Amino acid sequence: MAGIDVGGTNTDAVLLRGAEVEALVKVPTDPKDLLGSTALALEKVLEHYKEDQPLKLHLSTTLSTNLIVEGRGAPTQVVAVPGPGVNLKSLNFSFPIIELDGYIDHRGREAAPLNLDQVRGLKQVLGGTEGEALAIVGKFSQRNPGHEQRLRDEISQWYNGIITLGHRLSGRANFPRRIVTAYLNSRIARHQLDFLRVWREVQGSAVGEILILKADGGTMTLDACAERPIESILSGPAASIMGVKALTQCTEANYLIVDIGGTTTDLAAVVGGEVLFERDGATISGYRTLVPAILARSFGLGGDSRIRYEKSSGVIIGPERAGTPVCLGGEHLTPTDAAAALGLAQVGSAEAARQGWQAWGESLGIDGDALAKEVFQAFLRQLREAVEAFYAELENMPLYTIREVLDPPDLRPRAVVGLGAPAPVFVPALAESMNLSWEVVPYWAGANAIGAAAARATAGITLQADTQLGKVTVPEMGWRGEIQRPLFFDLGKARELAEEKTREHAGSLGYDASGEVYIVEEESFQMVRGFRTVGQTHLVRTQLRPEVFKVRGEAK
Amino acid sequence: MTEVGLVFFPAFDWAISPDHPERQERLLYTRDQIQEEGLFDHPAIREYRPRLASDEEILRTHVVLPSLETVTESHRIAAGGTIAAADLVLDGLAKRSFALLRPPGHHANRFVHGSRGFCTLNNEAIMVDHLRSRLGPDVKIAIVDTDAHHGDGTQDIFYNDPGVLHISLHQDGRTLYPGTGFITERGGPGAYGQTVNIPLPPGTGDEGMLLAMERVVLPILRDWQPDWIINAAGQDNHFSDPITNMGFSAQGYARLTEMLRPDIVVLEGGYSIESALPYINVGLLLALAGLDYSKVQEPHGRREPQPRAITDQVARICGEVAELWERRSEEDLGKVFGEAEFFERRRQIYYDTDNIYESQQEYIRLCRACPGWRAVYTQSTRVRQVAAAVLLPWKPCPSCRQEAEGQYRQLAAEGRFQQVVWQDPARGRESLKE
Repeated sequence: MAGIDVGGTNTDAVLLRGAEVEALVKVPTDPKDLLGSTALALEKVLEHYKEDQPLKLHLSTTLSTNLIVEGRGAPTQVVAVPGPGVNLKSLNFSFPIIELDGYIDHRGREAAPLNLDQVRGLKQVLGGTEGEALAIVGKFSQRNPGHEQRLRDEISQWYNGIITLGHRLSGRANFPRRIVTAYLNSRIARHQLDFLRVWREVQGSAVGEILILKADGGTMTLDACAERPIESILSGPAASIMGVKALTQCTEANYLIVDIGGTTTDLAAVVGGEVLFERDGATISGYRTLVPAILARSFGLGGDSRIRYEKSSGVIIGPERAGTPVCLGGEHLTPTDAAAALGLAQVGSAEAARQGWQAWGESLGIDGDALAKEVFQAFLRQLREAVEAFYAELENMPLYTIREVLDPPDLRPRAVVGLGAPAPVFVPALAESMNLSWEVVPYWAGANAIGAAAARATAGITLQADTQLGKVTVPEMGWRGEIQRPLFFDLGKARELAEEKTREHAGSLGYDASGEVYIVEEESFQMVRGFRTVGQTHLVRTQLRPEVFKVRGEAK
Repeated sequence: MTEVGLVFFPAFDWAISPDHPERQERLLYTRDQIQEEGLFDHPAIREYRPRLASDEEILRTHVVLPSLETVTESHRIAAGGTIAAADLVLDGLAKRSFALLRPPGHHANRFVHGSRGFCTLNNEAIMVDHLRSRLGPDVKIAIVDTDAHHGDGTQDIFYNDPGVLHISLHQDGRTLYPGTGFITERGGPGAYGQTVNIPLPPGTGDEGMLLAMERVVLPILRDWQPDWIINAAGQDNHFSDPITNMGFSAQGYARLTEMLRPDIVVLEGGYSIESALPYINVGLLLALAGLDYSKVQEPHGRREPQPRAITDQVARICGEVAELWERRSEEDLGKVFGEAEFFERRRQIYYDTDNIYESQQEYIRLCRACPGWRAVYTQSTRVRQVAAAVLLPWKPCPSCRQEAEGQYRQLAAEGRFQQVVWQDPARGRESLKE
């Protein structure tokens, strides 16, 4: 079993045998040749692999992220069915949208039909060659995917490019985000597909099944990735967090995860034993999407950050990167040099770092050692401020019930769990300043690759039932069915059906569907019209919870 | 600073009773629509949490009988959420704010024996007094109540308060609960003319509402020059509302918001929870944030154009209201309130939601230097023993303060009353102990 995490700076790879780490390697990432970097990391791992059967591989790649950030991908058009409401033109999307007549309302009822003449007319407006892509998105399509499906049926008769339907990507309500998500998914699909195909061929028989890491910390098959490549964005932070889940000994229900890298630090929160997710979905390069993602906040503070000194405010670190630390032969002093000079970490030449501080200190009229200490303290202070801002943001999440307002959910951490190369230097001091216990996970510098290897398939669905209309919908499966006995379809029945559908969905994606299905969120309302109960509406959001795969190692 | 701070609190776990219009489901479809339109997520709109209103904040405005224990947490959160919305603007976090929450409040009077018109605490009145406690008593606040029902509770609370201008546009009281809000109700001796009622005939639609805005509401606001404009935004004048007979639409509502440019909007009634509220609230939010609302429209049902006869009738009422406003300073208050030391008012008040009858006797000290202190005696089918209260205005003159203190001490010493309440909004409940 191997895991590879292709990061912006380094590519980490791990070879696991059961719960034991056999090999952990790090190679620099060449952003222009992701294929080469990934192959090189794999090659190094394969040197340690002695089994006969092909190696199973989990891959976390920045490919889709890069495509989006760099604005690359297929020429993509969007066909939308917005109906009345917010004027799409006022939202300033960075791509054109063709608007069609028709409307599905909040209950999933058709309030206005599609205009078939308009649909036929699309042939004159859309391309349709194989290299092009299309996104079809309707308002409230998660409540009734009928219009999107009908449009696909019509258009695919003559359109040969990739088509994404909005409702398949998420069951959450948010039309603008659904448009963006479907658009990006269509745009990057072909490139992602080509990359994976080529990569697969290059590896030949040494590698067996390949699974791709998702932003929610789960894995997906190549087939699933071909349909929903957008889910592979931001898998790097997810890999690190899955690494923590695999390696930590922390038994607290609530803890903070701090991943300190060279350029940035990422924060994530575990509450009640579960990692918190984004409320709507991931944001990438200014695009707000509905992609299910671990809630992680990144800020420019790391071991290689630039340091400035101002008379008035003292030391300020980041947000930009200074480059290689002096102790490792670089030109600019960094927080890593402070740790090296103060004897807090064994990195490169402590002597070189000390000389560096001495020289800078002299020009400022400060003792070199004192300056290094000040840098260390400034790093802690900035980290602490970011942690406070992170929890303040979490604690501002809206509450919609009296029960929650009277007894708001307790999100505050009881411990700090750290990873990343500089973690042993800064995490203990951070935790102590917050009066919390701490842990730096084993293999802290390569835990992201371990997280990729330890990740398991995840699948979730949204079930929306409306017993007055007698309809039940699971958008992720493109399914809308009849409720057989609406009078008796209570929340319990909705939960049962949601579990059944989750397993069916996971099975159809080629996953092991035997894990626990848990309820992420649920709602149930009596519908009263004219002082009489006419039905109920239930919403059940479920997730297949795979067992956490634990990897052994010595914690620090 | 964001354009609009939104305090959305649908109270998904609270109802007056399971089938009551004020039930869990009321803002469900509004939530769905705002979410689907992406407005919780829009850069111009930011969502904030509500909070509980404190005893101090409630009792600065209300006299709650027999005690605050009758007030549920849902009411405290609705009042506290409205205060939170005001603070967003006051603290510079948002240019305008919208308390989109329930239960509503505009039928709650100063004296609270229970719930009337689904209201127990008057959210916007508590918020207005909170604003004054932070900004001082000289701040001028205008409330424009656009609910289809007369904002009788808010009118009651501020009817003798020169710091507040209360304008209510509503379906004519002869045809709808609470049966008040006629143009002849113009305020007490301390704020005569600052209670403005614009009763509209059943069937009034966008044309009539906007005509009233144009001809009366905006000119009066321009004349009075408030520092703050509050909109009590009831949404039951919609053509699809089940308990009223008006013809207002989501487009009309958005346009009204754009014309009024309120600092703070507070949801009141509105029980067409599927066909009206989702679209009105989307339109209102967009208009408040200065965004394009041109495509907001109810997908089900069309409103009928307003008949000519109604337009004429609205124009006539507007003319009368405008004339009363212009003449308000020429009125001979001696003729209206008498020349005695006190103006006396006796009222019977019915609490429809809780089926309570209250009888109330009020004495206002007629004073040339200030709005005058008040003594109120009240009892109800719930609070059977008479309770007395001595109320000070926000800016009492020294002699009124002294008289009121004397009156309070005397009433408290007599022992005739189960409760004697002291209300001093500027200095607080403890001001007598100093």
